[in-house]
Amino acid sequence: MADLSKVGSKYAPMSWEVERGKIRELAKAIGDPNPIYQDKEAAIKEGYKDSPAPPTFLTVPMMWSDRMPTVINDLKINFMMVLHGEEEYEYYQPIYPGDVITGTPVVAKAEEKVSKSGAKMDMVTIEILYTNQRGEKVAKARSLLVERK
Amino acid sequence: MAKEMYYENINVGDAMPPLVKGPLQKLQLVMYAGASGDFNPLHTIDDFAKAVGMKDGVIAHGMLIMGTVGQAISSWVPQKYLKKFVVRFAGMTKPNNTITVTGTVTDKRVEGGENLITCEVVAKDENGDVKVSGRFVAALPKKK
Repeated sequence: MADLSKVGSKYAPMSWEVERGKIRELAKAIGDPNPIYQDKEAAIKEGYKDSPAPPTFLTVPMMWSDRMPTVINDLKINFMMVLHGEEEYEYYQPIYPGDVITGTPVVAKAEEKVSKSGAKMDMVTIEILYTNQRGEKVAKARSLLVERK
Repeated sequence: MAKEMYYENINVGDAMPPLVKGPLQKLQLVMYAGASGDFNPLHTIDDFAKAVGMKDGVIAHGMLIMGTVGQAISSWVPQKYLKKFVVRFAGMTKPNNTITVTGTVTDKRVEGGENLITCEVVAKDENGDVKVSGRFVAALPKKK
C-alpha cells in the first residue's frame, strides 16, 4: 500500500546526457520512420537545430537511471501491483543530441480512490521538471501510478 | 515528414490522418525494452508474464503504444509545435494486435499570443478495444 504521507517529497536529481544514437534507437524501436530522428540534415531542413528527441523520449532517462524503482520503493508501492495509469508531457523547447537534462522527481499527488466496482486503489502522481545544461526548462513529465490493493 | 501546417487551415472537427501499425511482433517489445530501459520481464518473457496472470504471455509496454500515438501526431503536426501530450492507458496490447491511431481536432483558440489547437487521440486494436486515449495541444504558426 502506498505511503500517502509522501506527498511533496522530492528525490535526488538525475542527470542524463542525450545521445544521438539513443534518439535513433528509440525512434527505431517505436517503428517511426520520420527521417528527422535519423538524419541531422533532414531535421535542419524542417527547422530544427539537430535531430530532436521524439515526444516520448523522457521515458528513457526515467527508466535507464533507475529512478522510478527508487521512487516506487520509497513510496512502499508493491511493484507487482502497480499499473501505469496516465502519462503527460509539457514541452517548452526541443531536446537535442548533446543536451544534458536534469530532472527532479516530486510526489505531486497521492490519494486513495475507490473504483466503480468498489476496488480500492492508491493513485500517485510523480512530476519531473527537466532543465538543460543552460538551466532552461525543457519539459515537464507527469506519471500517474495506480497501485491495486 | 510532417508538412508545414498553419492555424488558419485547421478547423474543429478535422481528422488527423490515421496511422495503422501491426501486427505487433514480440521482437519489437525486445527492441523497445532496450531502447527505453524498461526491462520489466512482463514485456519480454512469456513464462514470467504467465506467472503473473497474463494467460497469453507478454504484453506491450504502454509507453510503446504512447510512442505509436506520438508517431501519428508528429507525422501530421511538426513536432516543434507540440506543447502538450497526455494519455491514459486504457487496455493491454498483445502481440499480433494491429493498432490504429485516430484523432479529431476538438478546439482551436488564440491564447497568450499562441494559436492553439487541441486534438483528441485514440489507439484501438483490430477489435475496436481502446488501448490508449488522450489528447495533444499544439501551437501553430499563422500565415504571414
